[in-house]
Amino acid sequence: MEIDETALGGLIEESRDTHADALRAAREPLADMVDLGRQARAGSGPDAEESRVFADKNRRWLASTAARAGGLLAATGVVAAIADFIGSPAFAASGTDVQVLQTASSIEVLAVATYKTALTLPYIGGTAANPVIKAFAKTTMSQHADHLAAFQAATKSLGGVKQTKPDPAFVPVVNKAVASITKASDSAGALLVVGLALELENIAAETYVNNMSLLSDANAKKVTASIMGVEAQHVAILNAVQALLKAGAGADITLPPPAAKLPAAAGSVGFPNAFYPTSSAAPATQGAM
Amino acid sequence: MSANGPVFHLSEAELGAMTSDLDAMHHDLTLPALKNSLAEWTEDIRAQGDTGHDEEAARRLISDRRRFLIRAAGAAGGLASVGLLAACSSSSSSSSSSAAASSAASASSTSSSGGMADGSGQKLSGDLQVVAMAASLENSGIATYMAGIKAATAGKLGTVPPAVVTFATTAMAQHTDHMKAWNAVLTAAGKMAVTGVDPVVQPTINTAFAKVKNVAGLAELALMVENIAGETYQNGLSVIKSAAGIKTAASIEPVEFQHAAILSFVLGKYPVPSAFTGVSLARPPSDYAV
Repeated sequence: MEIDETALGGLIEESRDTHADALRAAREPLADMVDLGRQARAGSGPDAEESRVFADKNRRWLASTAARAGGLLAATGVVAAIADFIGSPAFAASGTDVQVLQTASSIEVLAVATYKTALTLPYIGGTAANPVIKAFAKTTMSQHADHLAAFQAATKSLGGVKQTKPDPAFVPVVNKAVASITKASDSAGALLVVGLALELENIAAETYVNNMSLLSDANAKKVTASIMGVEAQHVAILNAVQALLKAGAGADITLPPPAAKLPAAAGSVGFPNAFYPTSSAAPATQGAM
Repeated sequence: MSANGPVFHLSEAELGAMTSDLDAMHHDLTLPALKNSLAEWTEDIRAQGDTGHDEEAARRLISDRRRFLIRAAGAAGGLASVGLLAACSSSSSSSSSSAAASSAASASSTSSSGGMADGSGQKLSGDLQVVAMAASLENSGIATYMAGIKAATAGKLGTVPPAVVTFATTAMAQHTDHMKAWNAVLTAAGKMAVTGVDPVVQPTINTAFAKVKNVAGLAELALMVENIAGETYQNGLSVIKSAAGIKTAASIEPVEFQHAAILSFVLGKYPVPSAFTGVSLARPPSDYAV
């Protein structure tokens, strides 16, 4: 392997410093949210009109999503049930931003658990693993844990209960995929792991892009906006890694990659859309409590 | 593929086909949704009456710009200092085209002779300020990639790997799509499209581009431009009032950060350096208040 592990360690350390700076920046909106949450708790609870508007928005969005849904979302068959729930009085009475943030938390819980499981595989987290893939899996798991903490803090700040459980609609799908992965050969398993991670990252990114226009609290928007680009970056790298693995060029997954050896099409495989889609976004209330 | 090249199980044609499939999905699903968001945003802007001059925004102009310049200097390193000093002493709009006339911007047809012709100086406010700033940043992004491709074609950057060429042409095409989307909002609101480059960032880009000697240097410059764009749109999401406008900006912000991730990867930097993207490099929309 061409990678210099010491240099990679240094890069990750450098990235942690940058991350610490960004974490400090994320604390500012969260601190503001604490104040807002205190104000909300001192008042009379969620605003009924705000909840009604949110429910209307979600109903319209779900109708269009149900019409075009594919992949995981269609397989889980939860769209109709959620549409019914959104129309119910129980939904209208509950906090809106809180539900969106709880759903985001549930996706992060699932992402952390999935990477944790993947890292137990020898070809992802063991000595047989490609060092770049191993470092990426470890760092990405840690970043999702940070996202989870941020969404949970935001939920609590608005007077909600923090979500600690994984998104119920996607758990069976992940479990099924993990069962297949454990039976696969190392090379096939690596490709399946990357495929599963890619699908989860994309669901996270699309969900947060979609949530931006559903959230009403300014600081909840700031927190979500600071996370969605990171999930999209995970998607870009996983797209590139998947293409190299499919090409049988796993040895070229190095930091930096041997650019001169790569096929021309590899240059754009990471970012296929000029505008980030939302067709695979999880319904905003799917992981709400 | 040469005899010494890697043995790929997936041919370039197959990889190209995968990319085409994704591209088709993008046109089937994403673009119609974007069109709806742009139409809704236009209606919202009309309803908000965000077409005039915002005095408060104008007052924030100088301090916002100074703050940005200090941060951008850090991002671009020493290369930026000359351009930043020039930008500090310039006015908000009229000097942009002349500053952009050299190096990077000279390769772009988007730069014009200045004044109202390039869409600056329209006394915009509210969401339209953010839109105009975004359009000008996209023009700077397009100009940077165009200049890079021109330099590579002329053999000024040494050997350029085919994957890097594909990256540059695809990223430039996506920035062109973004620019068209932003300008569609402006023209639908009865304003002129912004065809000029960013008046503050462009001198910095030009100074840095003049020192680019190879692919790595160009990638570093592109990384700075992509991070400024991504952070500007992230910041814009807190400023835009219309929900449809937020949808549009939210669909563009992650794509700029994806470009940045791939550029970092190619440069040998960790591609996702932080769990949270920041706004310290964000361009203040108030530059388009006057």
